Amino acid sequence: MNIFWIIVAIAVVGRIIWRITGKKRGADSSSAKPKKPLSPLQKKFFTIWVFFIINMRRLFRDRLALFFTFLFPLIFLFVFGSLSHSNSVSLKVAIINESHSSYARQFVNQAEHQKTLKVDSTVNNYKTANEKMGRGELDATIELPPSFGAIKNKLPSGQAIVHYTENNAQAAQTLVSVLQANFQRINTKLIKSPTPFTVTSKENNERSLSTFDYTFTGLLGFAILGAGVFGPMNVFPELKKMGILRRLHTTPLRVWQYFVANMMGNAVTGLMSVAAMFVAAILVFNLKVVGNYFELAIFLAFGIVMILGIGLALGGWAKNERQVAPLGNIIVFPMMFLTGVFFPRYLMPNWLQGVTNYMPLTPVIDGARLIATEGKSIFDLGPQLGVMAIWLVIVYAIAFRVFRWE
Amino acid sequence: MSDVILKVKGLTKKYGDVEVVKGISFEVKRGEIFGILGPNGAGKTTTLEMIETLRTIDGGSATIDGINVAEEPYKIRGMIGVQPQSPGFQDKTKLSELILMFSAAYGERVDPKKFLDEVNLGDRADSYVEDLSGGQKQRFSIVAALVHNPKVFFLDEPTTGLDPQARRNLWDLVEEVKKRGISVIMTTHYMDEAEVLCDRIAIMDAGNIIALDTPQKLIKDLLARGFKKSQRVEQANLEDVFIDLTGKAGLKD
Repeated sequence: MNIFWIIVAIAVVGRIIWRITGKKRGADSSSAKPKKPLSPLQKKFFTIWVFFIINMRRLFRDRLALFFTFLFPLIFLFVFGSLSHSNSVSLKVAIINESHSSYARQFVNQAEHQKTLKVDSTVNNYKTANEKMGRGELDATIELPPSFGAIKNKLPSGQAIVHYTENNAQAAQTLVSVLQANFQRINTKLIKSPTPFTVTSKENNERSLSTFDYTFTGLLGFAILGAGVFGPMNVFPELKKMGILRRLHTTPLRVWQYFVANMMGNAVTGLMSVAAMFVAAILVFNLKVVGNYFELAIFLAFGIVMILGIGLALGGWAKNERQVAPLGNIIVFPMMFLTGVFFPRYLMPNWLQGVTNYMPLTPVIDGARLIATEGKSIFDLGPQLGVMAIWLVIVYAIAFRVFRWE
Repeated sequence: MSDVILKVKGLTKKYGDVEVVKGISFEVKRGEIFGILGPNGAGKTTTLEMIETLRTIDGGSATIDGINVAEEPYKIRGMIGVQPQSPGFQDKTKLSELILMFSAAYGERVDPKKFLDEVNLGDRADSYVEDLSGGQKQRFSIVAALVHNPKVFFLDEPTTGLDPQARRNLWDLVEEVKKRGISVIMTTHYMDEAEVLCDRIAIMDAGNIIALDTPQKLIKDLLARGFKKSQRVEQANLEDVFIDLTGKAGLKD
């Protein structure tokens, strides 16, 4: 089923690219052969189609625009992807070994190979250890006093001391548990004694979300925000400054036609950029997409068009770049930090999650994750689609009201 | 068919309490070139922009070919061609594509080559607008405003900033437009331009029309009032020297 939709999508995209890049075909030659006259409504959509095609061609000639549309989100994907991909929890520790016993050496050796610990071997005195803990580069320092590993009552013994600063109490607690478990294993080897209560762990077979799934859908949101808001916010004032919109204003072109041409262009480029991110995430970061690609594309296209409304409102309203920058930042930055673009929202306190649920980008990011990595159908996304539809009406109502041609 | 294409009656524009256009009235005849002259701030551009549907009309009315500008702005926009003061076109777009876009804005599809050939830009069809010279840009801008075969063509200070050759080329072009039966309404700061091109001119000052007639009649009236130039007029001026030395160039770039 999925493969069928992928083929359909490739056919559609291929057809559009063919129209855009075709030199002798497309809009140029349509004038050569006489066609029957268009009805008034057909004329309106013909206008939109020509604007869409020519603006797409223009985009593919603009290296800077291509960079920001396609490469920029990919760079973010690689940076944040590699950060979140090393997924295991590890404690950054230093070990200061003042003992010369073989047990102490063994302890250090084992610690360096333990997955949960990341030993900073450049630290060998308290001064640098304290400095690094103060800066947060180290979570804790393990001290092995001179007496560590000394033989008492025919058995080796010793006490490791965990040093920490007040900010790292939790990490230190975890470290103490880890070390305690290690020592427990050694102790049972040394003294044979029954262990009535034990605990063991077992992996559940059900798929769960990794941090990367959240990172990835967050970055999808970032790409959509960039293309939908930053794009028009920068381009429209420029078009006004050069008198390009003023010139269009003297023609019978309607604002809605101009908006629809922009929506089509943004949806197509946005989906292409998102597709490139999916390919990179699947190939490089082993992203597993379990949902339906076609539903995902429809959902994302809807999200792209809705977010574009914010950009059209801002850029359409602003007379110049200086006017739009402050308002744009007030709108964009909260979305960047509160809707799950850079931090997953489950890390937020409940009241903040409740509020941010209703920000325009949140349902887009959540919905993309629900379809792509949790295999939900677009029909399960009623709450997300509802919030998006309300925002769509609000932002476009504002965009139409505040639009200025000059 | 009435021989009046544009009828302006008591046209008024206010910004706050200030009237910048104070109830002016005039008529433009079908097929003539009508010039609006006046110092900066006289209200020339505002007057044009009201007739072009770009600004709301605060008082009076304007009708083009019997259609009220304020009532049917979209119909009017389909009937007029506008060349703004500083023509701007989007970059990285071929001339042929821009022609297609402009005609599409009117819901028409045209052969861009035909229009570009008219202004000797046929061989630049694949160039971007940013690679054109100032004169070429002006010529392109004019043809882009004519893709839908308008009835009235508005030019706002079309020759400001052009070199003498490009100015003369543009005059020829405006004459061409007139020959096609399109009425032309233009503003300018150059009196020689108005004298050469315009069939009739209106002189505006501080929001009022203070004179309206043919250039020849206005000059005659002035002389009749006993005006005398203190200096004797030479048979040639410096511009004639410049054109003679650098060549009139026809449509050379």
